[in-house]
Amino acid sequence: MKIPILRLGRILLVSIQIDLTDNDAMQFQSDLVNLVAETEALGVAIDITALDVVDSYMARVINDTASMVRLLGAEVVICGIQPFVALTLVEMGRDLFGADCTFNLSQGMDKLHAKIALRADARYLEEDDAWPSAQ
Amino acid sequence: MDTSSLLKQALDYRADSLLQDWTSHVIAHWHSQHSLNDYEQHNLQQRMTVIVQALTPILLRTPVERFEFDPECALAEEVRLLVGEQARSGIQPAQTSYLIIALKQVLTQRLIAVAPSVAELSAALLWLEQVLDRLALFSFEAFVETRERIIVQQSLSLMELSTPVLRLWHQVLLLPLVGVLDTARARQLTERLLEAVTRHEALVTIIDVTGVPVLDTSVARHLMKTIDAARLLGTSIVMTGISPEGAQTLTKLGISFSDVTSRASLRAGIAEALYLVGRRISPIGQNGDVKP
Repeated sequence: MKIPILRLGRILLVSIQIDLTDNDAMQFQSDLVNLVAETEALGVAIDITALDVVDSYMARVINDTASMVRLLGAEVVICGIQPFVALTLVEMGRDLFGADCTFNLSQGMDKLHAKIALRADARYLEEDDAWPSAQ
Repeated sequence: MDTSSLLKQALDYRADSLLQDWTSHVIAHWHSQHSLNDYEQHNLQQRMTVIVQALTPILLRTPVERFEFDPECALAEEVRLLVGEQARSGIQPAQTSYLIIALKQVLTQRLIAVAPSVAELSAALLWLEQVLDRLALFSFEAFVETRERIIVQQSLSLMELSTPVLRLWHQVLLLPLVGVLDTARARQLTERLLEAVTRHEALVTIIDVTGVPVLDTSVARHLMKTIDAARLLGTSIVMTGISPEGAQTLTKLGISFSDVTSRASLRAGIAEALYLVGRRISPIGQNGDVKP
């Protein structure tokens, strides 16, 4: 099952709505990382509203992905962590998540825009030649 | 008949064809790996002629128990020249060492053809073997020596070439990394960077790793040290050009560069760095003034 990655201007939006197998999770990770590099995205929103269960592996994949995306120069937010999931993650005692988290996607996008607005490359480069399909 | 006159006969026996035999031996052996063009073949033949000329007086000496090869003699000089040329043009060591072996084979065949008795033949063969084995060893040594000198030269020039620290703008430095980052290079790089940061009082340093083929633990550790040292001087660091594979490797190794600003391309990194020193790149209007 391939997770679709949506482009909104220079932001990439991913919504994980089903439980992923380990292979799917890795596939998702490398797809997203490659797309971020290819499009020089400024921000990535990962929405996990639909996930009722997040096991430690999935948590690590999301966390790693966030850190890879950050290395590639994009901002990350993780949206819609369910209360029960949050509880489990804390119980597991892992440092989750390194990235910013928001209540829902709408707040996540607001946060992304706010972070991107602070960046120099977003302010000055869009007028030049941001990324071919954005024009 | 003594050994030297026997050897003289072997050398003189159809003297004009000796060189041809040798060349055809060598070329037939090399043919599979490396075919020579006419110019190379001519050049090789000329060198071989000189080697045979220089070798003749040594072979015609009175045989001694232990043959001492003088590494300063004319023959040694010629062999060194020929082998040096070959080392520089990237010929395999096995091919080069075959040169002398082929000469030995040719001369052995000739000795067998002219020798009147087994005793005389074996004495001459022993001497021939001593001299040519020593020569083969010497040629191999010369080959390795040339190669090593080339490697040293190359690594020196690589060191010089690959770690420039560029002044991109007032108080902005750019460090484009190209090639493999090992301990020696990393140290040299750090020294140069720190020196440049101090000299230009740089506020921002861009480290571009587009040209680094593999980002692994040791490279990341070196980079981390460089970055930490530069930070202590009061410059902030912008990393650019990490590839998707590089990002995945680093994360899997547990390295996040969490307190370093990272940008996808050098272009984005330059924009960020200029922003940090209060500059921007803006388009100019038709009469050359800055657009509002």
